Amino acid sequence: MRTLKTSEAAALLNVSANTLRAWERRFEYPQPQRTPGKHRVYVYGEVAALRDALRDGLSISSAVSRARESLRGDTHILVGALSAFEAERADGAMEAALAMRSVERTVEEVLLPSIMELARRQGDDSAAWALGGRWAVEWLRRAQRLTPQAARPGTVLIGDATRDDLDIDAPAVRALELFIGRTGVRVATLPVRNRVGLQDLVTALRPGAVIVAGRHAGDEEVARWAYAVRSAAGALPIALYHRGAGDRETTRSAAVPSLAASPGEATAQALALLDGHTAPARMARGARR
Amino acid sequence: MPAQPLRAVPGGRVAPAAPRVAFCGHCGKPPADGLVPQVGSRVCIRCNLGLLLDAPAAIAPKANEAFVVVDRALAVCGLSRRAEKVLGVREVDVVDRHVTDLLIPADAESAAGRPHGLSAVLVAATLGSEEPATMVLRPADEFGVRFTARVGPCGPSPGALVVLELG
Repeated sequence: MRTLKTSEAAALLNVSANTLRAWERRFEYPQPQRTPGKHRVYVYGEVAALRDALRDGLSISSAVSRARESLRGDTHILVGALSAFEAERADGAMEAALAMRSVERTVEEVLLPSIMELARRQGDDSAAWALGGRWAVEWLRRAQRLTPQAARPGTVLIGDATRDDLDIDAPAVRALELFIGRTGVRVATLPVRNRVGLQDLVTALRPGAVIVAGRHAGDEEVARWAYAVRSAAGALPIALYHRGAGDRETTRSAAVPSLAASPGEATAQALALLDGHTAPARMARGARR
Repeated sequence: MPAQPLRAVPGGRVAPAAPRVAFCGHCGKPPADGLVPQVGSRVCIRCNLGLLLDAPAAIAPKANEAFVVVDRALAVCGLSRRAEKVLGVREVDVVDRHVTDLLIPADAESAAGRPHGLSAVLVAATLGSEEPATMVLRPADEFGVRFTARVGPCGPSPGALVVLELG
């Protein structure tokens, strides 16, 4: 993904850096990311889309609206490609989206909304979902394989409570794995039904936080898995992801905090949990979907 | 039949173009001397939040007038800072909505006051009619408030300008 410094983005739009910051405050666009040094960097695609829209626009508001609309086009293309069973075109749509956004934003703004739209339109028992859901999970796994090796201390253990790759929550869980991995923290994922040898694995990995993700597995199964983890590693912070108390008829899980539904927000909360200095920030927002 | 060559009409007169003035689509102020925007940029360097537009001098907003900019689809493109206050809406919340979601005719006795009167006048303006029209409008969701409004074309892209005269 190509990014621009503030001066470069301002030059592309032919405005001053002050104007860019004024637009960020008023229109929330273009929305810069921050470097580790807290400097603003702009996604080239967003700035270019705005430049094109401004060229013959009648106001900055309408130009921003048109620029946003042109970026949202990626979602329509992806839903269309998956509905037509065209995996190669779906890959192309993701490539195009990645040219304009970071991996995280591409997943949050294009892949996950598209796949949820596909499930809403066609149902998660449809052939389109069978192809689209699996395509999304494989895309996220491919992206995860390209993630650099863990560079930060700590391991997050994810107890995967989804049914399989066609579970409606599977793409979000894979996205959470990807996002946490991209922060440099090691992530290990284990289905909650696999308890044999779990204690050896936990002793080897020494996780600092545990996340139970997905709604398919029952509370009994999850409780046994969590007990086995805690038996090996002692008391560990545990949180739920896509398994909020509001999602299902559960009583035991209700006492455990839930991470936000957005993988980006959930990653920040998981890291806070891992660092041990903050209770996951739900947690007020955890039930949001 | 052979095509007739074009020729000048003897004694014909070209109607003089109405003088156009530039103003900012947000603060409504004209670009002052010495504050010409950078080459290729139409962004107002006074407020940074509007694009410089142009309109016939008879229609262009005067200092501190509220106005609404509409595109050829009659969707709201922009509101001046004053219009946001007068109409009680934020520009970002109404942009791309149909203009009649925001303003409707309030003069039931004139032709322009008919339900489609405003749309017809706006369409004519976006098509380049330089003839300024005057209408009585009110906010779409509010009774008891009426504005006299000047309606006319604005540019550089084809658009229409509704300037609310607040007295």
